[in-house]
Amino acid sequence: MIKVENLTKRFGRFCAVDNISFTVEPGEIVGFLGSNGAGKTTTMRILSGYKVATGGKITIAGFDVLRDALEVRRRVGYLPERVPLYTEMRVKEYLRYRGLLKGLKGKLLRQRLAEVVEACGLNDVKRKLIGRLSKGFRQRVGLADTLIANPEVFILDEPMIGLDPNQIRMIRELIKGLGGDHSVLLSSHILTEIESICDRVLIIDKGKIVASDSPANLAACMKNTRIIAEIDGDAEKILDTIKNIDSVIDIEMKKGAEWNTFICTCKENESEVRSEIFKLAGKNNWNMRELHSEQWCLEDAFVDITCRCAASKSDEELMK
Amino acid sequence: MRNIFLIWRRELAASFLSPVAYVFMVMFLAMSGFVFLQMTEGFVGTFTQLPVLLFKVIVYFWMPILTTVITMRLFAEEKRSGTLEPLMTGPVTEAQVVLGKYLGALSFLIIATAPAISYIYILKYFSPGITYVDLGAIIGGCLFVFVLAAFCTSIGLVVSLVTKNQIIAAICCFSMVLLPFVAEFFVTLYPYTRDLEMSHFISLYENLVDFTRGSIDTRPLIMYGSGSILLLFLSVKIMELRKWK
Repeated sequence: MIKVENLTKRFGRFCAVDNISFTVEPGEIVGFLGSNGAGKTTTMRILSGYKVATGGKITIAGFDVLRDALEVRRRVGYLPERVPLYTEMRVKEYLRYRGLLKGLKGKLLRQRLAEVVEACGLNDVKRKLIGRLSKGFRQRVGLADTLIANPEVFILDEPMIGLDPNQIRMIRELIKGLGGDHSVLLSSHILTEIESICDRVLIIDKGKIVASDSPANLAACMKNTRIIAEIDGDAEKILDTIKNIDSVIDIEMKKGAEWNTFICTCKENESEVRSEIFKLAGKNNWNMRELHSEQWCLEDAFVDITCRCAASKSDEELMK
Repeated sequence: MRNIFLIWRRELAASFLSPVAYVFMVMFLAMSGFVFLQMTEGFVGTFTQLPVLLFKVIVYFWMPILTTVITMRLFAEEKRSGTLEPLMTGPVTEAQVVLGKYLGALSFLIIATAPAISYIYILKYFSPGITYVDLGAIIGGCLFVFVLAAFCTSIGLVVSLVTKNQIIAAICCFSMVLLPFVAEFFVTLYPYTRDLEMSHFISLYENLVDFTRGSIDTRPLIMYGSGSILLLFLSVKIMELRKWK
């Protein structure tokens, strides 16, 4: 549905997006992650047709973003990061205007208007001035505007920013519901939400795509594993003993009132390390009440990938 | 056409939802009424020349300020608040947006100025010496104000497109809108340009007097009309260029 080939965007000498390529299949929900200034918003603006790329080719629903701009805009629902709205208009009036502008009319417009007002929880505020709404409600008005024409592709730049937990849950369900029939490219810094919504995640760093996989696979690809053990005994001796296990590369201790928590980082064979610690506890008469390996989440993968990229970049600069 | 109409309607509604518009309309009508009254009190001439006085007040006293205030926010405000982004990512072309906004501003300008025409009829009502009002002179004057307003609005539109800051837009817009007003001054300043035929049809005063006599000259109509079209074309190109930045 979305096909990006060698997309580049330069602002003078600064390269905001550096030769990236990716696809979003029909019905797929793809998370677009990156640190601030990594190039997410620029990429999304180019996809929505608001900006033109310096190089590369983008096709959405088979139409070229540059040549068939209007056809693409008819098929894309874009939610900008700041959700700019006409504050002097009332919610329903604004959505009606946007619906008309997107080609809806008559019965269909009235039907879609009622559906999006309901879906985004705007029934109580539909007659209010947008300027008097809270940030969360404005966000929902922006989302309702994106949904109104029922486009094939959604490009949502930080749709959950500024929402309270209940609103986040509602929007999450709404976006999840879009998958299957629509393609969604979604950026957010709330990685737990991305993990629960998205089929696949793209990570962009300094304008380059550095990872593309499902959230589970990205977490599973983490090189190091952490093992958490809560042990009562001579802390120094326990530290030295566990450190001597082959695969353990680092160990740190959090002192408790009675029980100490040991966090071991190991390269590989996490299950072997766990059984080794278990055996050592028995052998040395340590009291142990907890032993588990920590599940890596998308956030850990994101931090690991972006930090690795930053480290390799600084190494390259040093080499130069 | 539908999108132009929708953008025009929103633009016009937005103008009337702003308190600035009402303040300006009241100030314009009060001040132009006062100035017109002062001018007629000391007026020596036939009453057929009264429309010239009225349109002089509208054109010279208010046109630059009115167009500046109305056009300065057109795109500058959209850019500052970011509303240009959802607008330009919808299925609308740059030309539709430019035309819709231009027509919205021009309509507001006409609506704000039109009640001033009634001054002539109010004066006639209270002055038994004025036996009739020349409708041809009124129509001619209105036509001239319309083409001049169309030209000044297109100048304001271009200026509003190149900046985010409304104050800068206002200052630049006011300076640019003054150009047609000061052009005749510069032309008449030098003997070699004064005698040129061109100096007559760029002279705002001469054109105004001609039109308010009911004599409709097509040359200034074409000049201001083609100037407006050129500036609108330039606005569309600036809008298209914005995407590449």
